[in-house]
Amino acid sequence: MKYILEKYYITTFLGSLGGEIVEVSQQDQYIVVELGTEKYALKISEVYEIIKMQKITAIPNSKAFLEGVTNIRGKIVPIISLRKRFQMGETPVTLHKARIVVVNHNEEMIGIVVDGVNQVIKFSDIQPSTEIVSRVDSSYFQGVGQSEEGLIGILNLEHVLVG
Amino acid sequence: MDRSEMMGVFLSEAEELLQLLEMEILNLEQQGDSPQIIQNIFRIAHTLKGSSAAMGFEEMKQLTHEMENILDKIRNQLLPVTQQVVDILFQCLDQLHWLKREIEQEGVTKTNIDSIVHQLRRLENGAEGNPESKSKLFEEKKQIVKMWRCKVRLSEQCEMKLPRAYIVLNHLKKWGSVISSEPELDSVIEETNLNEISYIVKTNADSDALQHSLRQLLDVEDAEVVPFSNDNLADAFLPLTDANKDEETENPIPNQVRKEERKSGHTIRVDVEHLDSIMNLVGELVIDQTRIAQIGNLLRDRYSADETIDDLERISNHFSRIIGEIQESVMKTRMLPVERLFNRFPRMVRDLARSLNKDVDLLLEGKETELDRTVIEEISDPLLHLIRNAIDHGIEEVEVRKKRGKPLKGTIKIRASHQENQVVLTVEDDGAGINAERVKESAIRKQLIAAQDAEKMSEQELIQLIFLPGFSTAQTVSDISGRGVGMDIVRNHIEKLNGLIDVETRPGEGTKFTIKLPLTLAILRGLLIKLQETTFALPMNSVIEIVRISKKEIHSVKGQAVVKIREKILPLIGLHDLFRMSCGKRKTKHVFIVVVGLAEKRLGLVVDELIGSQEIVVKSIGSYIGQVEGISGATILGDGSVALILDVTGVFKLANNLRSIQPQVMDDVG
Repeated sequence: MKYILEKYYITTFLGSLGGEIVEVSQQDQYIVVELGTEKYALKISEVYEIIKMQKITAIPNSKAFLEGVTNIRGKIVPIISLRKRFQMGETPVTLHKARIVVVNHNEEMIGIVVDGVNQVIKFSDIQPSTEIVSRVDSSYFQGVGQSEEGLIGILNLEHVLVG
Repeated sequence: MDRSEMMGVFLSEAEELLQLLEMEILNLEQQGDSPQIIQNIFRIAHTLKGSSAAMGFEEMKQLTHEMENILDKIRNQLLPVTQQVVDILFQCLDQLHWLKREIEQEGVTKTNIDSIVHQLRRLENGAEGNPESKSKLFEEKKQIVKMWRCKVRLSEQCEMKLPRAYIVLNHLKKWGSVISSEPELDSVIEETNLNEISYIVKTNADSDALQHSLRQLLDVEDAEVVPFSNDNLADAFLPLTDANKDEETENPIPNQVRKEERKSGHTIRVDVEHLDSIMNLVGELVIDQTRIAQIGNLLRDRYSADETIDDLERISNHFSRIIGEIQESVMKTRMLPVERLFNRFPRMVRDLARSLNKDVDLLLEGKETELDRTVIEEISDPLLHLIRNAIDHGIEEVEVRKKRGKPLKGTIKIRASHQENQVVLTVEDDGAGINAERVKESAIRKQLIAAQDAEKMSEQELIQLIFLPGFSTAQTVSDISGRGVGMDIVRNHIEKLNGLIDVETRPGEGTKFTIKLPLTLAILRGLLIKLQETTFALPMNSVIEIVRISKKEIHSVKGQAVVKIREKILPLIGLHDLFRMSCGKRKTKHVFIVVVGLAEKRLGLVVDELIGSQEIVVKSIGSYIGQVEGISGATILGDGSVALILDVTGVFKLANNLRSIQPQVMDDVG
């Protein structure tokens, strides 16, 4: 039961900016992103918007996981690849499901390329991250959430972007 | 207006006034005593006194007040203009600068002004005690005390007419005693109709001096001074006497001054941030316009028969013309005449030349040349450094010049001019020139280059070594230059502005530095090139030429690809290699080479495709990515995609690194 509803995500997120009341209930809402068969969660309050894959200009001689830069409404936005970050190797074909999740980091917009955006969920329980999460370095996670979908690693944005 | 806003206005006004003051004092020193100059200095001191008093800066007020006293003496020819006077005025100026800086940084003044005030007073009293000048004055002005009727017309725009009328009254009191005024100021209630006031003044000054001084006052549109006697009391509009008429035509300056003052009423001060944000918005418009035009072309291909497309094109064209005009006028508002910058030099040159015991003439040309204000700010330090160098190292001591048969006075010429889309600044001296041999020795001694490399270098190449970090030929480290960071920093500064610096020197005849700068930093003309599928932009002002050569013409010398263009060997570098991109399989027999220049250095960049040149809006790639060698920023192209802007300085560095990996020396070729 997957449904892709970018618009929905954005509007709920924007709604959370407007009033305090929504924010309380949305604190525990997460966006689930896909990377191959793996799933990761991002706190909805950390996500600025989700856009379709668009042309990215590579920047030579810079960070290894930096995909490049793109133009979002006249702004130059750096884009990183979560696959490269987790050293997963590239997908053979660019998926049309691929999305750019734009987050806010130190007042700067940064896009994260993922294979797809899945759904918005709530976790019934969140455990501290342990070694068992996946083959990915555990410092990239701030915890493991439990839901109907199973256990999903919650990304620690600061570490993913900078660390 | 709250205090901080007022403070801003006060500070910027003070800055301008101090600049003017500096200019006028220099004029005084060069041209000697002239009533006009003294009057100008007086006026500046007076304005400064008024505004500092209003802001409550007691020291500044006191100092300007003492200055006024001295100037008043000079004006009334009670005190001759001597070098001593000029020096003290300069000291006052420095003191005022200090005070201003303190106000700016700490909000209060702490500097002790007692010593300068003391000096001023001594000068002032000394003048009074000098019977010779007093009697001279008496001879010159054999006038007995006379009565004058001063008719003053206030300008329509004047907002507070009554206070203004009082200011005029106080001004007149300085000349003598004011007997009465019409209308009586104390009885005026409705000030809006207060346009013309007549004062009856008893003074020994003559009418045109009085008239002249009145016209200098703010908001005074016109002033007329006529002899007053009981007979013409009724006749308010007495015709000017012949003598007065003559004076008027002879001396058109008051009119000019008035015009200038009125013109200043049409300008406003704008925070630069506002202009910057407008500039950014215009940048967005430029990008969007190119996109609209591109989409228009697409639609034209698809629905060529549709008339709506014609409309779209018309609108799009009109739109682009308007945006072009907006862009131009916004750029113009950011432009300042380079005079702002030049005004700082005369004083510096004077002080420096004096401290080094050299005699230097400073020629400034092209003051009216306009430059973007950010460029003016950024170029100030490098220019100051070049001038310092010219005086310190360039111009010889008087004795030496005498021996060499040169004019005793050295000349430094600074020129600004527009050349196409660039501003060219030159700093030229007629000093000793740069000695290539000494440069070589110094560079070897400091291990900046290897001795065997230096032997192979041409004179021109040796001279270029002065731009290396850590280079300085000065025998002693003086206060002025010779810290060994100079030229290197100068060059860095200029390259950061996308500019170029070049040096020409002739031993014994002088040195000339030429700086080329873009008009503005926000928008530049870029050459779009393609490497595989990626588009890059090269700043057009560093592109020297573009050539298409056959692959057969590319030779390899010790692993370095080179090509011979017009009998000159040009090193080639593939941008692919610099950016570790896989080399596109070029099936053609020819390749495009973009020759870029950095000062005297030339480098040929091999590119896959040339797209053309266009205006590009420079955008930062942000702090997350940070500095990337060879890339100075990014721009958005017509199709909405991002192109990186190449930084030529960085490209040269990358090319050098690449070369050091594959050991070979380019100079072997040249």
